Amino acid sequence: MDDRRATPRTALPAAGARTASVDIYAPQWRNFIFVAPFLFFFTTLLLVPLFWGMWLSFHKADTFSSGNFVGFGNYIRLFHDKVFLQSVWNTFYFVLLTVPTLALIGLFLALCLNRRTRTAAVLRTLFFSSSVLSVTIVTLIWRIVFIPNVGLLSTIYGWFGATAPAFISDPSLAMIGIAIATVWWCIGLPMMLFLSALQQIPQDIYEAAALDNANRWQTLRSITLPSIKRTFVLVVIVQIVLQFQLFGQAWLMTRGGPNNLTKPIVLYIYDTAFRRWDLGMGAAASEVLFVLILMAAMAQYLVTRNKAGQA
Amino acid sequence: MKMKKVLFAAVSAGVLMLASPSLAATELTVQRFFGACDADFGTNTDVAKAVGECGIITSLINKFNADNPDVHVSVSTVEWPGYDQLTAQFASGEAPDIVTIHESALSDYQSKGLLMPLDDLLKSVGVTPDSFTDAARNGATKDGKIYGLPIDSWTMLYHINMDLFKQAGLVNADGTPILPTSPEELLAQAEQFKQKTGKPYFVQNLANETALYTRNLYTYLFQQNSDFFADPKHVKLNTPEAKKVVEMYKAIFDKDYTTKDLDYGGAINAFLAGGGGVQLNGTWVVGDNNAQSETKGTALNKGGYAVYPYPQLFAGAHAQYADGHTWAVSQKDRTPEQTAAIGKFLKFFADHDFDWSRTGHLPAYKAIIASDAFKALPHRNTIAAVADLGRPLPSAVQRQFAIQDIVGEEMSAAITGQKDVDAALADMESRVNELLANI
Repeated sequence: MDDRRATPRTALPAAGARTASVDIYAPQWRNFIFVAPFLFFFTTLLLVPLFWGMWLSFHKADTFSSGNFVGFGNYIRLFHDKVFLQSVWNTFYFVLLTVPTLALIGLFLALCLNRRTRTAAVLRTLFFSSSVLSVTIVTLIWRIVFIPNVGLLSTIYGWFGATAPAFISDPSLAMIGIAIATVWWCIGLPMMLFLSALQQIPQDIYEAAALDNANRWQTLRSITLPSIKRTFVLVVIVQIVLQFQLFGQAWLMTRGGPNNLTKPIVLYIYDTAFRRWDLGMGAAASEVLFVLILMAAMAQYLVTRNKAGQA
Repeated sequence: MKMKKVLFAAVSAGVLMLASPSLAATELTVQRFFGACDADFGTNTDVAKAVGECGIITSLINKFNADNPDVHVSVSTVEWPGYDQLTAQFASGEAPDIVTIHESALSDYQSKGLLMPLDDLLKSVGVTPDSFTDAARNGATKDGKIYGLPIDSWTMLYHINMDLFKQAGLVNADGTPILPTSPEELLAQAEQFKQKTGKPYFVQNLANETALYTRNLYTYLFQQNSDFFADPKHVKLNTPEAKKVVEMYKAIFDKDYTTKDLDYGGAINAFLAGGGGVQLNGTWVVGDNNAQSETKGTALNKGGYAVYPYPQLFAGAHAQYADGHTWAVSQKDRTPEQTAAIGKFLKFFADHDFDWSRTGHLPAYKAIIASDAFKALPHRNTIAAVADLGRPLPSAVQRQFAIQDIVGEEMSAAITGQKDVDAALADMESRVNELLANI
């Protein structure tokens, strides 16, 4: 039996006739048909635009024509553009505001709701429900909260005779306003990931801890947190990659203002390529974003590889 | 006999199928901004009943469809100004047949050969450019040809709450509002207004806004004879004239003579609720504001509503920034029926420009401006002067909407104190010139 499993090279001969043996692992051109649809879309929708984008970034091009080769001209213009540098900083600032918050609140909610009660189930659904909304609805809701004079926040502050902070237009608060809306929108996924990790921790470890008279804090520090360390890293890296691509919330809540303080890189690319028709420079900015996200993805690869090595 | 019936039915069906293409209405796609109001006017064809930009344009297109059964216009409404979508549509070969384009944006698309010159088509339906006002004809003409059917000229105005002006003691004996004649007077009157009413003089939509700032700057640069776009490829904005304007608006901001954190919708609501004396907004809200002032119980009904061009604050030219809306036609292969249908649509809008002027916009046709019906519309006696005052940027200046964003962002930074005024003006100038140098 073992032999047959190891050498599945010979098909059973048909009765009365001996056919040539068929190597089912041998490369055959007709197998290409199975991967062709995927390869077609992968090439046309991913590879071609990727290289076309790189090619464009070295040309002076607008939306309706591609012009001369300018070498690194677009990149030089890009790094001399204060607005671009501002947008890179904005993106990092936004990631810094949202990712730790998402990870910590997600963990906190998961710890609170990791129990088999009806209330916990309802609350889990409730906290996850915002994730199914589109960015347009999310920003609409938060605009209604933040909008001056008639917004929810203004009304509540008004009861106490105070003025609500201008989360949409104050230079120091606008990005925080977008971060609040984003955390509210995205909290479902981290919470669910942490919940699934918590439910995989074997109960007998907790029972052993209970026998050792460990209190709740000790249990959390010595059992729960170490057991979900890998999920924590996963949540952080997934969120970094996601939040780097901030666009909709900033565009719909503040249009990147006041004075570009909430303009992330993707909005800069949109602005440059499609509103100013400077496609070459927009493509150059896209390549910079590509490298930044690639670095985050590489970090994920390195971290998970090291973890695998330790295990 | 039965066979004969079946044969007759089959032949009849065949004839009908063959005939149906010629009976089918010619389809036209129209793309416009001006908002969506289908709940109120989605089926209305009585244009006289409609109010405001959205109501009137929706009703006009409904009426066109009703009056012309051989043409069917399907409308897609885009968020103002809609140029991001339009550019993408042109790039992918999916442009609508007819589209609203500002005169200031026409040259972007015309210079790329994306728009159809309309001279011959308009002539074929009896619309001649000499019937346009000078402002409309100049705005729609690029390289000697007409590239859009002008439907109006618009500008920014002082929309005034007369009740608050009376409380502030800023009313002449004849009941007209007292408006400033210099920057110093503006600040003094704004202070008096604030002291007497406890409210800000201006209601402005300053939250993440660019257009309002830019239009304010252009107007007061014109009034100082600053030829900042003498070269359409190179702007001069780091000038003493620009500094004067920015410092004036900064003083207004610093001394709380204006609302600060309102967006466009918020500012309209604040003004209608009596939140300040003067709202800086365009011709397009005259109709809506007037309707409010005639409704009992509203803040504008209390003491009345008045509307004026921007006051002359400097000693230079009597001018203010203006622009206009047009219907432009995309360049593509069409059947003679389709082209004729477009001609019909344009002619319909030329014929109904009076209805459109009820929005508050100035008509694009001399005959309508001179008509008694137009003069009889409310407030036209005070704002008709804009026909002579209105001045656009030179038509050779490209990417005017992108420039508007840059100028507005830097002005906002200077006025709200994020940046020093000189630094903002220097950045404004260098960013615009960088954009223009790379077109």
